[in-house]
Amino acid sequence: MDDNVVIKLTGLTKRYGYGDTTSYALQNFDLEVKRGEFIMIMGPSGCGKTTLLNIIGLLDRATDGEYYLNGEDVSDISSARQARLRARKIGFVFQDFNLIQNLTVIENVALPLVYVNRPRTVRLKDASAALRRFHLSEREYYRPSQLSGGQQQRVAIARAIVSDPEIILADEPTGNLDSRSSSIVMEELKAIHEEGNTIIMVTHNPSLTVYATRVINMLDGQIDTDVKTVADHNLPQPISVKVKKRRGRKAKEEE
Amino acid sequence: MSMLFRTHLRLARASVRQNRTRSFLTCLGIAIGIGSIILILSLTGSISSLIKGEVKDIGADLVVVRPTRVKDTVTSFIEELTMANTFERSSLSLVDVATISSVGGVTATAPIAVSTNTLRNEENTIPSATVIGTTPDFNTIEPLALKYGVFLNDKNTETAVVIGHNLALNLYKSSNPVGRTLTFYGERFIIVGVLDEVDEAIINFDNVNFNNALFMDIDMMEKLMGTIQIQQINVRVLNTSLLEPVAGKISDSLKETRFGDTNFSVSYGDAISHPASNLLNTISWILAIVAGISLVVGGVGVMNIMLVSVSERTHEIGIRKAVGASAYNILMQFMFEALILSVLGSILGMMLGYFAAFIVSTITPFSPYISWEIVAITLIATVSVCIIFGTYPALKAARKKPIDSLRHYL
Repeated sequence: MDDNVVIKLTGLTKRYGYGDTTSYALQNFDLEVKRGEFIMIMGPSGCGKTTLLNIIGLLDRATDGEYYLNGEDVSDISSARQARLRARKIGFVFQDFNLIQNLTVIENVALPLVYVNRPRTVRLKDASAALRRFHLSEREYYRPSQLSGGQQQRVAIARAIVSDPEIILADEPTGNLDSRSSSIVMEELKAIHEEGNTIIMVTHNPSLTVYATRVINMLDGQIDTDVKTVADHNLPQPISVKVKKRRGRKAKEEE
Repeated sequence: MSMLFRTHLRLARASVRQNRTRSFLTCLGIAIGIGSIILILSLTGSISSLIKGEVKDIGADLVVVRPTRVKDTVTSFIEELTMANTFERSSLSLVDVATISSVGGVTATAPIAVSTNTLRNEENTIPSATVIGTTPDFNTIEPLALKYGVFLNDKNTETAVVIGHNLALNLYKSSNPVGRTLTFYGERFIIVGVLDEVDEAIINFDNVNFNNALFMDIDMMEKLMGTIQIQQINVRVLNTSLLEPVAGKISDSLKETRFGDTNFSVSYGDAISHPASNLLNTISWILAIVAGISLVVGGVGVMNIMLVSVSERTHEIGIRKAVGASAYNILMQFMFEALILSVLGSILGMMLGYFAAFIVSTITPFSPYISWEIVAITLIATVSVCIIFGTYPALKAARKKPIDSLRHYL
């Protein structure tokens, strides 16, 4: 398999209910996501966007089909392993921010690091660095409720990237924001993407597709249209991958 | 691992602090249970340490022989607890006293026969005074502080008696009636000595209140009353190192003269205080069980609050799981919360218990008694309460599905 493929889904099916009440959120869904892609998933309500995101994010399990994350089959792993992968490989951004209200902003951002066993000082340092990136340094010891919606969503994005995940999953991150905050948030996501991060985002807003490198339209649990706006070889790559590639090329030239 | 441990501890502390009133009330439930256990244990502990202290004061070279009955059924055990010793015929007799005093290594033998009788003099009648039949040896084994006069001795056995402080006041309206007379079973006796006042609340190992007692010669007592009840025989041994062999010898020779009958007990050292407080022990055990029940009620309170806390924080659990918390992490988070509640409760309970014991000690002569056993028992009780009542809510939290929890708002 191409080592640039982060996610590979084959024949993914999610069924709800039994007998007469059976309904499919996903039906024979196939998808391949390359490193550095910024995918926007669009479609009407109930077409399975969020279910897809939850399965990719290892919060939910498919009824059928296979899911490869970094070449590893993760369709039938234990829930403890799922949790470990969530902590290390996946960052979530939600529509309603999902920050813990009784923790301070910096503690919220540091939360994923708790579950990868980082010492407290390291956690706070990393979280502080992530917040600085989103110009929220002065808000470190605020409570989430003391921030505006846009600021809260930026805190949530800081939390998503703090543990350096492979993929960032965003479920309508601008859904609860006004247009100004929403464009700030999108600019931040774009900046993260340009650093070589893979982002999968669900949205209802067609005007946001300008940020994407690939737009997928879903209908009834299947892909309706799939448009790539940027060629695969032009996708931004993380520094580590670039270094690896350059070394490989050099080695070839020397041969 | 230890890092996660500290994180859990910090989290739990924060959560307990957030709901101060609720946490305090939950702790109070535990505290009442632990507090009553502490109170009961420290009081019974202080009583038995008082008795032990008394044994130590008298000397460690003491052997006590007591009558026993065959304990074959639960009913006979209950009977023994509920009926006063005087109701039944003692299995010890004056023959046994003679047997014991002939054993080598024994320096003094004092039987204690107790009976409740009417005493009168010219002016007053005491309907229920404690009459103790003993021998002059009693004073050498257990030196009594005499306020006036002398104790019984070999020359005055026929007519002399010694009385306690309160009895003297009640009979003669005087603290010094030495030389005056009283009538017992139609015989006239001369008072040769009066005891100093003893602290009434102290339960001594003889099980008799000396303040209201009259001491007389045991042979004279038997002659007058026909039968006597020997409650116990106190024996002084030559020296402490002989304690064990002499106790064995006493036991053997008693068995021999009684044709194999073993309805008696020979005890020395700390064991002396135990049979005396048999009823006390049983009562304190029953009380401890009641206190244990209140601890269980406190535990149910912890469980209740933990369940509320889990359902209140379903959304938070969802977020934590989404960012990488495993079921085990969540389980531990809530277990630590239960542990903190239980530990805080038990600390509060220890303080409450000792405070209550202190209050009791100002009214009674018992001093609060703290031992490592009591602390260990409370610690074990606390941890088991936490484990028994914290596990279910914590498991419930750990098993929540992340997407369902994320959708859960309050």
